[in-house]
Amino acid sequence: MVAFDSAETVVHVKGLYKAYRRGNTVAPVLNGVDLVVRRGECVYLAGPSGSGKTTLLSILGCILTPDRGTVQVLGHDLGTLDAEARIALRRDHIGFVFQKFHLIRGLTALHNVCVPLVLRGMTRRAAYPLARQLLRTVGLGDRCEYHPHNLSAGQCQRVALARALVGDPDLILADEPTASLDAANGQEVMDLLRRLVRQRGKTAIVVTHDQRIFHFADRVFWLENGRVADHLQAPLAPPPSAKEHSP
Amino acid sequence: MDKRQWAIRLGHWPPRMIEHTMWSIALETLIADRAKLLTALVGVVFSIVLVNIQGGFFLGLIGRASLLVDSSQADIWVGHKGMHNVDFPRDIPRRWIQRVRGVPGVRRAEPYLIGWADVTLPSGNWENAVVIGFERSGRMGTPWNFAQGGAESLLHTDAIAFDESETEKLESPALGQLRELGARRVRVTATTRGITGFLVAPYIFTTFERAAACLQKPAEVCSYFLVQLEPGANPQEVCAAIRRRLPDLDVYTRDEYAAVSINFWMTRTGLGISFGAATLLGLLVGMVMVGQTLYALVLDRMEEFGTLKAIGAKEGQIYSLLLVQAIVLAAIGALLGLALAWGIQSAYSTPRAPIVIPWWLSMGSAALVLAICLLASLLPYYRIRKLDPLIVLQS
Repeated sequence: MVAFDSAETVVHVKGLYKAYRRGNTVAPVLNGVDLVVRRGECVYLAGPSGSGKTTLLSILGCILTPDRGTVQVLGHDLGTLDAEARIALRRDHIGFVFQKFHLIRGLTALHNVCVPLVLRGMTRRAAYPLARQLLRTVGLGDRCEYHPHNLSAGQCQRVALARALVGDPDLILADEPTASLDAANGQEVMDLLRRLVRQRGKTAIVVTHDQRIFHFADRVFWLENGRVADHLQAPLAPPPSAKEHSP
Repeated sequence: MDKRQWAIRLGHWPPRMIEHTMWSIALETLIADRAKLLTALVGVVFSIVLVNIQGGFFLGLIGRASLLVDSSQADIWVGHKGMHNVDFPRDIPRRWIQRVRGVPGVRRAEPYLIGWADVTLPSGNWENAVVIGFERSGRMGTPWNFAQGGAESLLHTDAIAFDESETEKLESPALGQLRELGARRVRVTATTRGITGFLVAPYIFTTFERAAACLQKPAEVCSYFLVQLEPGANPQEVCAAIRRRLPDLDVYTRDEYAAVSINFWMTRTGLGISFGAATLLGLLVGMVMVGQTLYALVLDRMEEFGTLKAIGAKEGQIYSLLLVQAIVLAAIGALLGLALAWGIQSAYSTPRAPIVIPWWLSMGSAALVLAICLLASLLPYYRIRKLDPLIVLQS
């Protein structure tokens, strides 16, 4: 168990249990997970398929609720929050990066990045400068007016990264962010995510089974059978080269 | 707190802007899928055109049922007991007009004759016509909107006027040509434009005496007394006074008798039901098209709605997005539909089949379509409400 200072703790999970009901059978997905993530850390959740990584991420992102155990995110006990408060926490303090980017097709890159701010009530005119700045930061300053179908997968994921960061969230949750990218793009996106998280003093939790990007993590929690089976600390060895891992 | 954080904080204020800010997202995502937008627009345009053209035909047709009343210049119509349609009157004693003239508030009262007679045509055929006789020196019930000739030309011997749209029925008589009306010789001295009745029989205007002769009625009877009021006189009070003096007759204000005449055709022919049913069917088809398209638009974008939910969109924001799309769809569709309906009206409205589209019909249809679009947006909303944002994490 990792010791923690409450002021620096962003996520504190204790005895988390979550099960899915399929017909008459109850299948536990998370079965007693304990986890502490501190401010400024980039933590990976890894493990085989069905180990509960995405479920854990969904609970931390206030999308799912735990069946048992306590989950504290940014000082909020998720078990005591109602649906409205969970949405507000998600909207105002958490940024999401998805495996398949999930950009809005009809919107340009700039407008996609504006969406989280618009959802907070900001006018798009006010959101533009922030979104442009973020797109420049992720290297897409010249692609602001491009629609997602005119961008490569790597560029789309960088737009998604800008969207996750534009609202200045305290916690960034990324679900397999490199799974839809080739090795080089995957490395680039993770490098960018790691750099931005460090620069801004944020915290990132990344679900992945891509061991090629483990070296970007401060710590890796290895989940198996709904529990944290192993816990790897930095420094983690980088892959020999991105090229060797290209499919 | 730096400039960027302040900007984000300020974005929360004022709170009512939250839903306003969804407009841009709603509009862009709507326009992005042009094929579906076009399909939905076709539904809205179809509904608007159908309501306006069907309604316009109906109003044009039903308006002809009371055309004589509406255009008579008379404030009050007095006729036989149980009078129900301007084209089918019964005889009343003409001498009773003196009692009407004696009622306080009556400025002028004139006898008016309406009856049915055959027009014998040069080919040997005949045409049933409605003969309308107005007082020679009268100011009410006279024809209007002359195409050829004028009011004074009807004072000539045997003079008649008919509407130019009926020319074919009367085998195209030129001005000055003769016809036989109710076994009497008559001469065409004027034609009018747009004076056609609800029935297929043409209206033929002439003087009271000539009409009586053509209709073979004695000079002592007429069909109606047309009454003009003194300025400031209360029509209802004058009607009541006439009723007291002539309890064997019915007395209506112009608007009342117009409504009675329209009601006659509405209730006895099922006209309202048939037009109403067709319009309702059209609306239903339009509604299904709009609803189905909005639903398809949403189904196609379930992941995007899931994404919005996952990154913190509230139910109200999602619904306002759908509402904006429905409102924009209704507004664009209504504008296009009204333009098309007015185009059809200009091209195809004729005196025989007039298409009358008053402003309230246009506005009413636009409001109706807006309501339909808003209702249609509820269907996909319920689908989205059930949508779990988890779907974006399970792909």
